[in-house]
Amino acid sequence: MLTRLKGGHVVDPANNRNGVGDVFVSDGVVVDAPTDAKAPDETIDCTGLVVMAGAIDIHSHIAGGHVNTARLLLPEWHRAFSARPGETALSKVGWTTEETGLRYAEMGFTMVVEPAMAPSSALHAHLELADTPIIDKATLVVLGNDDLMMSMIRDGESETAIADYVAWTVAASRALGVKCINAGGSAAFKENVRKFDFDDVVPDYGVSSRQIVKTLQKAVTGLGIPHPLHVHCNNLGVPGAASDSIAATIRAAEGDPLHLAHIQFYGYGDEGKRRFSSRAQALADLVNATPEVTVDIGQVMFGQTVTISSDELRQFAGSKQASPKKSVIFDHEANGGGVVPMDYKARSFFNALQWAIGLELFLLIEDPSRVFFTTDHPNGAPFTAYPDVFALLMDRGVRAKWLDALPSSVKKMTQLPELEREYTLEEIAVMTRAAPARLLGTPDRGHLGAGAGADIAVYRPNDDKAAMFGKAAYVLKDGVVVVKDGTVVRRTLGRAVTLRPEPDKAMKTRLDRYFDERYGVSSRWFEVPEGALRRDDPFEVVPCRA
Amino acid sequence: MDRAWIDGRPAAEADALAAAAELLERSRQPFVGGLRTDVSGIRAALGLARRIGAIVDHGESDAIYPLLTALRDGGAFLGAPAEMKRRADRVLVLGDEVAKVAPDLLAMLTETEPDLGVRTRGDAREFRSLCRAPLDSAGRGRAEHVDCAPEDIVDVVGLVRAKLSGRRAGEGAVGGDAVAGLAEFLKGAGFAAVVFAPAELGALGTEQVFGLVSDLNETTRASTLPVSASTNAMGAALQGAWTSGFPLRVGFGRGAAEHDAALFSARRQLSGDGEADLALIVDALAEPGAGGPPCALPQIAVTSEPGAVEGARVTFAVGAAGCDHDAVFYDARFGSFVGRPADAKSELPTAAAILDALADRLGGRVADAA
Ligand SMILES: [Zn+2]
Repeated sequence: MLTRLKGGHVVDPANNRNGVGDVFVSDGVVVDAPTDAKAPDETIDCTGLVVMAGAIDIHSHIAGGHVNTARLLLPEWHRAFSARPGETALSKVGWTTEETGLRYAEMGFTMVVEPAMAPSSALHAHLELADTPIIDKATLVVLGNDDLMMSMIRDGESETAIADYVAWTVAASRALGVKCINAGGSAAFKENVRKFDFDDVVPDYGVSSRQIVKTLQKAVTGLGIPHPLHVHCNNLGVPGAASDSIAATIRAAEGDPLHLAHIQFYGYGDEGKRRFSSRAQALADLVNATPEVTVDIGQVMFGQTVTISSDELRQFAGSKQASPKKSVIFDHEANGGGVVPMDYKARSFFNALQWAIGLELFLLIEDPSRVFFTTDHPNGAPFTAYPDVFALLMDRGVRAKWLDALPSSVKKMTQLPELEREYTLEEIAVMTRAAPARLLGTPDRGHLGAGAGADIAVYRPNDDKAAMFGKAAYVLKDGVVVVKDGTVVRRTLGRAVTLRPEPDKAMKTRLDRYFDERYGVSSRWFEVPEGALRRDDPFEVVPCRA
Repeated sequence: MDRAWIDGRPAAEADALAAAAELLERSRQPFVGGLRTDVSGIRAALGLARRIGAIVDHGESDAIYPLLTALRDGGAFLGAPAEMKRRADRVLVLGDEVAKVAPDLLAMLTETEPDLGVRTRGDAREFRSLCRAPLDSAGRGRAEHVDCAPEDIVDVVGLVRAKLSGRRAGEGAVGGDAVAGLAEFLKGAGFAAVVFAPAELGALGTEQVFGLVSDLNETTRASTLPVSASTNAMGAALQGAWTSGFPLRVGFGRGAAEHDAALFSARRQLSGDGEADLALIVDALAEPGAGGPPCALPQIAVTSEPGAVEGARVTFAVGAAGCDHDAVFYDARFGSFVGRPADAKSELPTAAAILDALADRLGGRVADAA
């Protein structure tokens, strides 16, 4: 079956397209325009509409043990979560796997990465993802606070042995990449350490955060895992120390790829009478000058949300500010973590400056292919706030309006009013389509060239960019129309995109023994058996680089 | 071998499906419960419940609600058993339920020694028990027992908190010295683990335990290992949370999931005093259950027990999950979901297959989510 998306404004920077034209789809794949005069079986009139590839969210906490604990912790929040309560039948469903998939799809997102899957929670995460409709999914598996990794570094084990362990973990958990969260910091917290810097060492291991990050970066690069090591730095949210930590981490990239997550939470200085200030300019300068790093923002938006993180040390510290006053702190193997509700208030100097710092970073980082569009859902804001974030990036007038509502003390501490940049449609397409696909190593996504998967978002242009990006006019997933006029019309099931490196046999034997002897658990429990998800086609395997 | 029964008499599966579908169709308010099945069975049960507007609860959720209630009222500190095995140098056991419902966990802690952490590894683990029966064994570790009636445990925990914060604490049920001893024991730990059964201490008692551990974490490290009689109910509640937003006790009567821990409890609905007028009960595990509330409603049974369920209008025989077919379960020791391959695959249908077949027949009742 041949479908023609006819006469839309095609914005496809990966293929240097930015103009009116057609896109053809056959059997779920984008194809070249037919050379014969063959009539399409289906024509979607896109005249006056903007046609892009489906958007990709590289960092959004949508599934797994910690996310689910947030659901348990905040039953009262399920209604509040919905962007427009009462407007659709689904707004009452709650913050569920079902709603996650449908809401993302309505905005034209067709792939989302859950960025913090604990190895022990891999099956749980994939069970949730298998219940999340329409969108494709992927996961990053968390390493770096685990006893084995730190022991291997301490004992001077070979790069090969460490890479074998990383490969086994990625394969068993069916991940697309590796994340490192407050490297060594969570482990140190278990030893009652309350502050942990990049060159501090984990008690009993004598291994520093820097060593852990560098070791994992080398293993990830060496294995040919397309997505660079995804780093959540030390001292998240600590004025002064946060910005020192991220600067040290960026400098430690040393020419090899490294991704820094939710950098807004690290753009904090300790100047001013409240000892809280923006260091966005310095951080953006450093990112601009370090081409091997990519970043995502973790934009804060105002309102009730909940923070979900495997950074147990910082979540414990943050639990003092929990609103409402309740939180869950986990002492699990390796990372542990915490779930802390947060109510970001526009009238709070601190929250308002966090909001401004995020936007400063978006606007000061020059290359849209190295800065990614995230709210670190739900940590900075729920993903349902995305339409407003698009509007803030694309429209100075909208920013001015928001700024007007903030405390005047904040306006003195941010250069946001002077920043004139407005993201263009093409830059939005780079940031949310072309660049994420490249960053994740999924070449048939994020663009509309022949051979790409027919994941396509069509928007109705509007001066109100929030309205434009909030409800896609059409969304096609694998060539099937799943959304019309911002409403899901067909509920399909996407897949989890994974790597599947071949694990080393000797390492497998070693791990069988290690988990059994040390933890009293079976290494098999870390594996996600294909049949366990009870879906026809739950995975799509993409290759590592040769 | 018979696989389906209508009013106790063997029937063809198709006829039984038709009869069950008709009962569900005619029910003003169906209840879907038991839920002693695996992840795919619960997924199917929740899907069916959404389609027919049923109320849903697990038969054993009384065992886990005190924990869930405490957690959502005041938060929690939660440890993974495997991590506590390697990390905790001191373990406080509260109540007598722990030895009854989690003997494996206690054995794991008593038979091993912490091997992680500068302050915690290398020494034998020490134990304190605050309950009636002393621990059977503490391995190489030292164990001291403080005899305490079940109804006094939560008070004593409160006194220990007062002592730790330097407030004046009364004598309580166990005496001031014992309270001071418990406070010292916990405060001096490198990493303390408090093991308790929330169902024994109640929701308020559970909040008190989390409060104690929160206090301890101001200066040292501590966490908890809550244990329950029903791991299966915990798994179902977790799955309910991601599927419906709530840990079961939900009603789909008005389309979207609504949650009410009292109104939608299995105990209330199955007693006949609730809104439900028909129960579909899933009981498809090889291990015996902790026992759910009695059912006073007309029943459709989906069971791995042989033969028709007595009094049931329709019974379906299905395989026991993890025994007759591959399954995924929540595992308390692992603290997450694990796959369990079948012992020996059988020809019996899975609970999920029967529930899906029923949902297919009832497709018209409530439109699909999308
Ligand atoms: Zn994150």
